[in-house]
Amino acid sequence: MSAVEQEAEELAGGLRRRDPALIDYLIEQYRYRLFRYLLMLTGRLPEAEDLFQETWIRVLEKGHQYQQRWKFETWLFSIARHLTIDYRRRRQPESLDALLEPVDTRRPLEVEDTASSSAFEQAFQGQEAARVATALAHLPASYREVLTLRFHEDLELEEIARIVDSPLSTVKSRLYRGLTMLRERLKDIYS
Amino acid sequence: MREESHERALQFIDKMQVESLTAAERQELEAHLESCVHCQKLERQTELALRAFRAAAPRFDSSLVLKTQMQVRVRAREIAENAARLRALWISCTLSWILGVVSAPLMWRGFEWIGHRLALSRVVWVTGFALAWLAPAVVAAAIIAWRQAEGAVGSGQ
Repeated sequence: MSAVEQEAEELAGGLRRRDPALIDYLIEQYRYRLFRYLLMLTGRLPEAEDLFQETWIRVLEKGHQYQQRWKFETWLFSIARHLTIDYRRRRQPESLDALLEPVDTRRPLEVEDTASSSAFEQAFQGQEAARVATALAHLPASYREVLTLRFHEDLELEEIARIVDSPLSTVKSRLYRGLTMLRERLKDIYS
Repeated sequence: MREESHERALQFIDKMQVESLTAAERQELEAHLESCVHCQKLERQTELALRAFRAAAPRFDSSLVLKTQMQVRVRAREIAENAARLRALWISCTLSWILGVVSAPLMWRGFEWIGHRLALSRVVWVTGFALAWLAPAVVAAAIIAWRQAEGAVGSGQ
């Protein structure tokens, strides 16, 4: 058994046992990446913080469902994404008609776009922070999400498709459109 | 230069970032870029936009980690306590079921005797026996189901 496989097995075992020490370690390890993903997804700082905490509690509760063949971050982001959608639904419940619609005619789970540039300006630091913050606030959440998974997390397109629960073609099209919009918004950044 | 070749070059510029280019596509793009200032600029803009995007680092409040770790530990303790309670309930259910099976003949005789003494019809004392025999298991099952439903609601399922 390779070191990577052994590590994955230990991780799965620890999650099954709900080992708090392991989860403490994982929170430390993935804190920044998870928070950045949630911020990109929600576009709201307090919401990202709430969801950060809820995600780790869900990791504790659902640890037995984690399978070694998945990368931990893919599973983690997927949990965070579902919680974000649930969170939004709790705050703005769907209409009865929408709930009664047959499952196969409903749109895939999407996060509603409620980003504000001030949230990003508050959250981002760096030289071009203000410009980037404004650009991000103008991108739809679904584009920000795939852009961060691809260019911050360096995930494979298939892994992104698994997280966002959409076909590969959808992921690619969002990435291309997102990249075009980002380029347009930031084109004069260095001019 | 034809408009199509610029469009194709732009497609390759984006594809290079999102997926990857084949050797032939890369060669075609390089050849185009050598002679097209407009597309060179687009390639540079794409790289810079992505560099700025990658460099954008959200501030992270480190107290959030401590808060989260504490919440996770509290929840872990709750789950462990609930599991221990549920385990105790299962053990008592199993014991009660074993006792019920062992004591069934005795209870049957007891109900039969009472039925004769009180001149009750067979249907009445047999029903009484069945209810008395099943009651503990039904109550225990109801408690387990209730606790599990409560646990599911608590964990947001």
